[in-house]
Amino acid sequence: MRGTLWIVLGLFPLVDGHPTLKTNQNSLETADAALNHQSGSLNSVLHLDDTEKAALEPTRVDPAFPMKELNTSHYPATRAARVAQHYLNYHHGSPSKWFMVHDIKKASSEDIPEVGTKYHVQFSVQEQATKEIVGNCTAEILFRQTEEQSAPEVNCTCDDLLKIETSDADHALYHHIKHQPEPMTGMDIPDSQGNIPKEMEPFWYLGGIGASFIMWQQSNESTLYNMVHVHSVKQLNSENDLLAFDYVVLLHDMVSQEIIHWHMQVAWNPTQGVKVTQCHLLPKGTMKQPSAEKHKI
Amino acid sequence: MNLVTEQYKDVVTQDVLGMTYENQTINYLKIGEKSDKPKKVIWMDCGIHAREWISPAFCQWFVKELLENYKTDEKISRFFQNMDFYVVPLLNMDGYNYTWMENRLWRKSRSPSPVSNCSCFGTDLNRNFDASWNSIGASQNCCSEIFCGSKAESESEVKAVVDLVGRIKNDILCFLTIHSYGQLILMPYGHPNKTAPNHDEHLKLGQNAANAIKQKHGTSYRVGPPSQILYPNSGSSRDWARDIGIEFSFTFELRDNGTFGFKLPEDQIQPTCEEAMAGVTTIVEYVHNKQFGSAAAATVALWSTVLASYLSLLVLVQ
Repeated sequence: MRGTLWIVLGLFPLVDGHPTLKTNQNSLETADAALNHQSGSLNSVLHLDDTEKAALEPTRVDPAFPMKELNTSHYPATRAARVAQHYLNYHHGSPSKWFMVHDIKKASSEDIPEVGTKYHVQFSVQEQATKEIVGNCTAEILFRQTEEQSAPEVNCTCDDLLKIETSDADHALYHHIKHQPEPMTGMDIPDSQGNIPKEMEPFWYLGGIGASFIMWQQSNESTLYNMVHVHSVKQLNSENDLLAFDYVVLLHDMVSQEIIHWHMQVAWNPTQGVKVTQCHLLPKGTMKQPSAEKHKI
Repeated sequence: MNLVTEQYKDVVTQDVLGMTYENQTINYLKIGEKSDKPKKVIWMDCGIHAREWISPAFCQWFVKELLENYKTDEKISRFFQNMDFYVVPLLNMDGYNYTWMENRLWRKSRSPSPVSNCSCFGTDLNRNFDASWNSIGASQNCCSEIFCGSKAESESEVKAVVDLVGRIKNDILCFLTIHSYGQLILMPYGHPNKTAPNHDEHLKLGQNAANAIKQKHGTSYRVGPPSQILYPNSGSSRDWARDIGIEFSFTFELRDNGTFGFKLPEDQIQPTCEEAMAGVTTIVEYVHNKQFGSAAAATVALWSTVLASYLSLLVLVQ
């Protein structure tokens, strides 16, 4: 492909519920390494050498494929930024750290014939627990023209991401869970009134980070996803030092207004971060609907 | 609602808008200084989508604010003299009930499917109005959350709005419909090929409202037609209101931006209502002043009349 110098960090097509990892041209790390959380800047996560670092430079614009400036409050920019948010959360979120797009500063898109549309977005994010705002994020999001849903390819960097320091909280939580006599369980987070018991908050965040993987994979130019409900969470046995959980989560797509149920298994520890090990879509109607209080109006 | 009507009977009348599919009575409040002459109207409806619980909460807050302040707040007092507020606190009662009893995330009405080969319930009331009905951003699949019905105005809840609003449309200065979530102020139209003749005025007014919202608690609301800032759609009450000639028509999508979505926690109810109140008041004040002149202009007019009377008296006495 002419004129495109972006790095693809891995494609994660969902094959019968098991995410398989496919590296693409220019992808210089395995997806496993990409999912490891390292200390240091985002660039160092990939252990890039100089050539690889040069490849991460912003795309040079090819005059044959003109860039179109986008209105930052219009939905094409909003949808592209949301994909970057999901990507960012999956790679950098934790039970103590969850980001939302705060403000879109600049956005543009280019149509690449026979490939798809690539968006360039500059935005700030807000971390939900600390309320801190991380200012300088840039992302490139490529939506490929495919018959079937394929995950958008994302390249996203944020300058001050590491100023949000949660490793103490993450380690404390990890040890707390590890030392419980019984595996944890939870249901209906939040409840109908939006309440979340304090001890359930990390599992809500963790569900959100795992769901971010699914939302990233399922996104295209006609979707805008949020997680609206953790139907259930159950801790699983795990032999290694990763904690494992079984989740059923409900996602809301703003564009179709549909509520979509996903079953996923999530592995986590503070050093390796979050990984979705299995996921599959539940057909509409299999799950009991989010419980409502039995009050007569 | 009955208590409010009783306590404030000088300024509140309760009336029947219509019936839901399950035969529940949809009530509305008419709020303003009582008058024999027809008055101009501000319309507000809440709870058209069942799961958007902050919406009926806001209508209640709005009514409370008006009634607690109309005697002491000069602006609201003027509003009450010159206009009536028609408020439907909960339009989709069947759906709302269903969110309490069965499914917190229900959106549509609770009427059964009109087609034999499709067994799901409910029509999206905000796709069922006769405004480019079933053209874009709606579905003919009865299981879809945006199923627009077998025909426009098939739903009794929609018919109820259409009957009353249609009857008094020449008196309605502004049509407001309250939803969540998304933090948006939407103006006509949902269809990408349609632009309101007063598009620019809508946009400016919407932006003023968004500024007033931001001043309250720092919350950002985006402003524009859904075809640009959200998604193309058709059959909405806001578009229908504009189509029948109501000059200003807005949809408010209240907090939040997706963290809690429809399940806004209790501690956000009041701030959300306070900021929405600021936004709505900005719009109401503008449309009121456009029709009746501002308080300052009214004062000038009053003194001019007094002066003119005095001068003509002087001339007579000469």
